[in-house]
Amino acid sequence: MKKAFWSDSKVVILGGGSFGTVLANLAAANCSQVTVYVRAEDQARAMNSTRMNPNYLKDLVLDPKIRAVSSFEKAFEFEQDLVIFAFPSHATREQAKLVAPFLKGNEIVLHATKGIEEQSLKRISQVLAEELPILRIGAISGPNLAGEIARGEPAATVVASRFDDVIRAGEAVLATDLFRVYTTHDITGVEWGGTLKNIFAIASGILESKGLGWNIRSFMLSRALAEMVRFGVAMGAEPETFLGLAGMGDLIATCSSNQSRNFRVGFHLAKGETLEDVLRELGQVAEGVRTTRIVREFSKSRGVEMPITETVFRILEGEWSADEGLRHLMTRPLVQDERA
Amino acid sequence: MIIDPRTGSHPAVRFEHHPAVRGEIYRLNERDYRDSIIEETVRRTMKDVSAADPRMLLEETLYLERVRVKKSRASWLTAPYLASRNDRDRQFLSSIQGGMKQSVGLEDHRELLRSFSDHFATEICGHFEPAVYDLAIRMVPWMFSWLLNAASVKRFMPFGMSESLQTRLRVVGEVDQLQKLSRKGTILLVPTHLSNIDSLLVGYVIHLMSLPPFCYGAGLNLFSNAALSFSLSRLGAYTVDRQKSSLLYKTALKNYSTSILKRGIHSIFFPAGGRVRSGAIESHLKLGLLGTALQAQLERYQEGLPNPEIYIVPMVMSYPFVFEASSLIEDYLEASGKHRFMPNDGGEDVPLIKTMRFFWKLFATRSEMWVRIGRPLDVFGNFVDEDGHSIGPNGTRIDPRRLLMTEGEIKAVPQRDREYTGMLGQKISDRYHAENIVLSSHLVAYSLFSALRKNYPSLDLFRFLRLSRAQRAITKERFYEEAEACFKMVKHAADQGRLFLSTSLQCGDVRIWVEDGIRQLGLFHDAKVVRMDEGAVSTDDMNLLYYYRNRLTGYGFGCEISGETDEKGFLV
Repeated sequence: MKKAFWSDSKVVILGGGSFGTVLANLAAANCSQVTVYVRAEDQARAMNSTRMNPNYLKDLVLDPKIRAVSSFEKAFEFEQDLVIFAFPSHATREQAKLVAPFLKGNEIVLHATKGIEEQSLKRISQVLAEELPILRIGAISGPNLAGEIARGEPAATVVASRFDDVIRAGEAVLATDLFRVYTTHDITGVEWGGTLKNIFAIASGILESKGLGWNIRSFMLSRALAEMVRFGVAMGAEPETFLGLAGMGDLIATCSSNQSRNFRVGFHLAKGETLEDVLRELGQVAEGVRTTRIVREFSKSRGVEMPITETVFRILEGEWSADEGLRHLMTRPLVQDERA
Repeated sequence: MIIDPRTGSHPAVRFEHHPAVRGEIYRLNERDYRDSIIEETVRRTMKDVSAADPRMLLEETLYLERVRVKKSRASWLTAPYLASRNDRDRQFLSSIQGGMKQSVGLEDHRELLRSFSDHFATEICGHFEPAVYDLAIRMVPWMFSWLLNAASVKRFMPFGMSESLQTRLRVVGEVDQLQKLSRKGTILLVPTHLSNIDSLLVGYVIHLMSLPPFCYGAGLNLFSNAALSFSLSRLGAYTVDRQKSSLLYKTALKNYSTSILKRGIHSIFFPAGGRVRSGAIESHLKLGLLGTALQAQLERYQEGLPNPEIYIVPMVMSYPFVFEASSLIEDYLEASGKHRFMPNDGGEDVPLIKTMRFFWKLFATRSEMWVRIGRPLDVFGNFVDEDGHSIGPNGTRIDPRRLLMTEGEIKAVPQRDREYTGMLGQKISDRYHAENIVLSSHLVAYSLFSALRKNYPSLDLFRFLRLSRAQRAITKERFYEEAEACFKMVKHAADQGRLFLSTSLQCGDVRIWVEDGIRQLGLFHDAKVVRMDEGAVSTDDMNLLYYYRNRLTGYGFGCEISGETDEKGFLV
């Protein structure tokens, strides 16, 4: 498709977190102008004057095409071609309501948010569709640790949407020589993949904390993948999607990194601390804790078998210790391996 | 609901006789105009199939057509119209076959393909005869009121007190917005489809709302009746032959629809493709024809035509009973249950007698038919305001042209347009649920069904439907308890704008609406769908109970059966 259109396009990125900043730099390589919206005025000012994000990834120099703003009026003062939501999941709906009046209908919307809306079990793209006058919506997901991309290490991502229009836009705007963009129509699978992996990041932290080796970690990851597939299929996703970057790819990245909040929750829980204490210490929300509760409830009511999720849930609730959980998983009836 | 207290319908619905409103459809009367539509249909069809190998397509179409004609059992005695049509088809097919033997070039094949498309397009094309329409709209109320008065005890009443249709037919909803929009753009009316009487009713309701006649597709089988065929073909109906399965025919049919919508002729589709077998509100719509609305809309924008907007108007019919209910639900259960379903014995009534009986019962028994005109949508499923502007989810006006812009220009993008059409289909189905008027009979059936189901929650549906007589009964107290609970849920949903309640349900007194619902259900079917005896409530026919109960599925009221959706929209 015509690259010319996109090289001349304007992109708005909503949210100046670490991934939002990285996306801005990627987009700047392919577009004529990138606007990053951040909430705090002084952050915007600092970004414009120092050419870096004062809160995240301080080594990353912002591309000259990037401008930072702190109001939606400013962010949308020009006609935009692509808008990327990079807010945390719980803020998405409320921010989308504020953004909606500025959108006209021809924009392509992507989001880079991993998680779901808690009460309704709606995926982020569904939340956006309910709030925005936009039909062409897609998701960006995959093993994308922002720090590594910022350092210029090679990486890949998935852009998912039911619309080819969105997929083409994602390819044209985000792909660089160091950043490959894969595509799929199965947005349901991609969004659930990005959500479910957080459960297993907790499990991974527990294993690390117990000082266990690679055998059980790989064992856990492959059975985790089976759970993701089972749950995803129940939600209407294609099983193959979980073999890709947004499933297996993201699972490995999240569960191997000991920096993630979810991983640390698991790590400290296994040391015998209570969930309350761990969360207080972290001082941040760990998405995986809520995800585990929601997914466990749903899987139980629908008869989707998810033993690892069940175990993580019981450990989070303080019903089982890490050792009890592990024993429970190891003594389940023996089954055929590839049974999904 | 805005209701005129005298008629029980929207104030803009006029039951007294009034002249037909003229519209673009009147031009179908002109031969040149019809020819131009046929020509356009052929041109579009040839363009759509241009990527295919003409020889392969020709062979395939020819083969399917020959098989169809061979299988057709229409004889000159029983269905002279179809038989004559088949004769003509046979001749045409031989001529094509002869042509294929003689000519071998690519261009020759393309030419033969063109005459095939022309053959189909000519068959599809409808007429419109103002005089026939005028006669029909005079006939329908006359027929209705004859039935009404013949069937009603009121015929013993003094002159002037006779019944009229307006006491039985309630037309409510966005009538005046529909009237306004019909002058601002092109209307595509998409009604739910429960019963064969729908087509008749929709046509008549359009006239009651002082709208010009609409164009619609009628099954070829309807044309087999000479009188019906004569009037249908002159009432703006075009021919749809479900037996014709070739790609070329389907493409021609879609293109015919696009061509008339593009010309601004108001149209009707039944988007479910046929009557709903299960009795539920449609949730799976046929998207092929629906897609023609988007295509026509796109072209109207591209060509800068005046008043380019096409508005999609859902319409929901609620009947206290459906005369084909038994056969529909048996079809449905047979298809979904296969070996698990055991059909009831007993033959079918003769359809004509059944139809007559239906109207007789309908009018003899003070039951009400409800028709609700839904909120108009644009071709993307956005609501449309009074002035015809699209409204986004956030309540601000949006320009629908922008949704058709890809990389800066308004153009057709087939993949995008298919997805848009899928979304429109979903939206229409959602609106059907939201515009549904729940009648006491539906709720009574729902209550009894869920009370019984709670006694046997783990039984497979098909086993459940074969409960013994004793198992099918519950105490009156238990029934009323369940009915109250169900009413509460329905009332709550109505307060949230997820459905509407009929007047008999609005009173809220459980004794009154239960009695009303049981009476309504009992009016038509020989078997008592809900029977209330001394101390016990039961059903004579589980399948019918299931059919009427299904009307309230899709709302997540609990007690879902496997395959239905719960309150969050997930499959159970």
